[in-house]
Amino acid sequence: MRRKPGIGAIHKQKLEQEKYKDKGTEIQENQFEQMTKQMEIFRTNLEDFATKHKTEIKKNGQFRRQFTEMCASIGVDPLASGKGFWSVLGIGDFYYELAVQIVEVCMATNYKNGGLITLDELRERLVQARGKRKEHQDITNEDLLAAAKKLRIFGNGFSVVPIGRGKYLVQSIPGELSMDHTAVLQQASTHGTAYTSVELLQAELKWERDRAQKALDHMMKMGLAWLDDQAEEGNLYWFPSLFTACVDSS
Amino acid sequence: MAEIEWPWQYNFPPFFTLQPHSETQQKQLMTWTSLVLDYYRATKQSVLDIREMYATPLFNNTEIKRKLSIEVVQLILDSLLKSGKASPLDKSKQRWLIYWHTLDEW
Repeated sequence: MRRKPGIGAIHKQKLEQEKYKDKGTEIQENQFEQMTKQMEIFRTNLEDFATKHKTEIKKNGQFRRQFTEMCASIGVDPLASGKGFWSVLGIGDFYYELAVQIVEVCMATNYKNGGLITLDELRERLVQARGKRKEHQDITNEDLLAAAKKLRIFGNGFSVVPIGRGKYLVQSIPGELSMDHTAVLQQASTHGTAYTSVELLQAELKWERDRAQKALDHMMKMGLAWLDDQAEEGNLYWFPSLFTACVDSS
Repeated sequence: MAEIEWPWQYNFPPFFTLQPHSETQQKQLMTWTSLVLDYYRATKQSVLDIREMYATPLFNNTEIKRKLSIEVVQLILDSLLKSGKASPLDKSKQRWLIYWHTLDEW
C-alpha cells in the first residue's frame, strides 16, 4: 500500500521546483546577457565596417547589391526600418531617398503615360534629376526595383509589372492590372512597337475576340491605351508608356 | 516657311484619332489646340481654311500616314473660339482666323 505524500515531502518538492525555476531564469539571463554582448560586438563591428565602406555602399552599385544579397541570405532586411542598426550604413536613407524620387518622377510623367512607366525610362529620368556627381549617378535597375517594392507598403498605389525579357513597368496608379492586362502589355512590348490589336492578341495568345476586346477597352478606360483607327490592319491600340518618342520627350 | 518643332504626339499615330475615353480625349484636344496655335505662330499664318486643311502638314502627317478628321478639327476650333483665340471669317464656318494672342493682348 502506498502512503500518501506527507507535508514534508510536498514542501521538499516545492523547494526543488523553485530551485529549478531559479536555475532556469539564471540560464536564460546568462544567455540573454551573452546575446546582448554579441549584439553589442556585432554593432561595433558593423560600425567599423560602415565607417570604412559607407561611401563605397553609396557609390558602388555592385557593392550595394552584394551587401543586400548577403543580408537576404542571413534573413535580415536592411531596409525594414530606419531605426535598425543597418541604417548606420546609410543604406536605408539611400533607398528611402530613391523611393521619394521614384514617386516624383511617376507623378511628373503621369499626364502623358497614364501612370505607367518602363523601368528604363524611370532610371533615365532619375539619373537626369539626381545631378551630375558620380555617387548620384550609379543606380542600378535592382536598386529601383528594391525601392519600388518598398513603396508597396503604402497600399496598392505602386506595383512592379514584369513584362518579360527582364523588362519591367512601374505602375503608379491605383487600379489593379489583371493577368490579362499584363499579357496585353507584354504583347505590345515584345514586338517593340508599342501597339497591339484584337487580331494580334487572338493570334498570339489564342484568346477569344471578346476577351481581347474587353481587356483593351479596360486599358483605354484606365488611360493607358490610345485608339488608332487609321491603320491598314484595323484598329490598333497604342501605349504611350512604351512609345519611344513619348519616353524621350521631356 | 519656318520649321516647327513637333511635339512627340505628332508622331504618335492615335493622336490623329478622336479618343473614345473622355479623359484621354481632353488631354488630346488640349495638346491639339496648343499645337495649332504654335504652328500658326511658327509659320506666321493666320487663316485656316477647312477645305484646304490637308494641304499643310499640320493635320496631315504623311510620314506616319495619319490625318486628323474634320470632326476633330471642328472640336479644336470650337475650343479656340471659346477661349477667344480664333473666330470664323464666313457664315458657313469654313474659313477661320487664328490668333496667336487674344485680341486683348494685341
